Amino acid sequence: MEFMPKTSDCAIEVDYCQKYCEKKRIGGDVFLSKKLKEQSRVLAVLSDGLGSGVKAGVLATLTSVMGLNYMGSFRDPAKAAKSIMETLPVCSKRHISYSTFSMVDIDFDKEVRIVEYDNPPVLITRNGSLMDTKKQKADVLRADKEPVQIQVSGFDAKIGDRIVMFSDGVSQSGIGSKELPFGWGIERVSDFILEKIALNPEISAHELSRAIVEKSWLNNSHKALDDITCGVIYFRNPRRLLIMTGPPYDRQKDKLLASLVEEFPGKKIICGGTTANIISRETGRKVQVRLDRLSADLPPESIMDGADLVTEGILTIGRAAKYLENKTELDLFTDDPGAKIVKLMLDSDVINFVVGTRINEFHQDPNMPVDLEIRRNVIKKISKLLEEQYYKETTIQYI
Amino acid sequence: MSKKFKVSICSGTTCYVLGGAQMMLLEDCLPVDIKDDVEVVGSSCLQKCHEPNAKPPFVQINDYVMESASLTKVIDYIREHR
Repeated sequence: MEFMPKTSDCAIEVDYCQKYCEKKRIGGDVFLSKKLKEQSRVLAVLSDGLGSGVKAGVLATLTSVMGLNYMGSFRDPAKAAKSIMETLPVCSKRHISYSTFSMVDIDFDKEVRIVEYDNPPVLITRNGSLMDTKKQKADVLRADKEPVQIQVSGFDAKIGDRIVMFSDGVSQSGIGSKELPFGWGIERVSDFILEKIALNPEISAHELSRAIVEKSWLNNSHKALDDITCGVIYFRNPRRLLIMTGPPYDRQKDKLLASLVEEFPGKKIICGGTTANIISRETGRKVQVRLDRLSADLPPESIMDGADLVTEGILTIGRAAKYLENKTELDLFTDDPGAKIVKLMLDSDVINFVVGTRINEFHQDPNMPVDLEIRRNVIKKISKLLEEQYYKETTIQYI
Repeated sequence: MSKKFKVSICSGTTCYVLGGAQMMLLEDCLPVDIKDDVEVVGSSCLQKCHEPNAKPPFVQINDYVMESASLTKVIDYIREHR
């Protein structure tokens, strides 16, 4: 596969799930994450503001935004934590800080640094068990000059590792109930996480965070008595997607096109009638148009062995770009070929585009009733959207 | 048993925007008298729009390629040739 450009061998999936305290429209837990593409770093902060509601929400947002920005510029989360502690207001009645936090900084060679202040401990799993990272205590001065302790730790991540961070809404869920009089507790939370991973060793950050939050909610008999938040970071083998669109400029390269599809290690989408025909001709596999699955305003999709999706070209790609630009137009029930492309894209980490540059002259005919854009430009736009708004890694190869 | 007429409808971009979208519904529009003789399939692209002075949308009925195709034209053609 020499034609394909090199891409990273580890993907970092970050996701979180959250339920706000009953009858509150604003929560006091905030989870923020950010990818700094130039430095290949990933930052994440979970902050829990005192109480719940507007005031807690403001404090937690303040803390997490400061956390992200300081970590981004200091390169040392402990330093960032110190600055935050010096500025964070302290409750005048109860003399406790207005918000607690856990911050994670992952750099390009997967070195992880973690700083925690008063949140439930950040859990790290490796090979199906918890990993002890030897947390070190550091003293810092609070805004009211009161000394408090933060915990600093670090480790080198490997593929398969997970970092799980949650607010006390998780660890204290079920408190006061018959089954869990003292709440769910860190130990039981860890057991739950390990059990989930044992059942499904490849469980995504998305699913795991949801499972933990759902369980906490269940512990409270289907109520959120406090804000419940769980964020998960998962180091995994990247899921790859190939999107092939357009016939090669030079007809001699038709063979290369077909072999790229054959050899690609991941999911494959072919967009374009001519492109599909070329691959069908070169591989001897039939393309079958699904006339039984018509969508209102896009040409139907087809099926072909060896491809996960085969669609028409520019109209469908244009629709996919529109969905990526405006997420609200795409809901669970949108099922046209454009939406299917987007769903496959969002489910992948690395997306390789192979764009044929031969132009269909008829598309440029001024009598065409719709504007047909040049394929190359639409793909460039999609690739930019995927990188900037969806944190995907993309490459474009012209052929 | 293969049917007397095999109709391939081009679902390529050009044909689709120039009227082929309607053609996709051919199967449902076939009158009773010819319905049993016709098999409708889709084609990802019949490659006819690359030719000079092409008039999409295209439909292929057995070996005959129909240009500027429409539902009525296809039905009339089949009635004439059965």
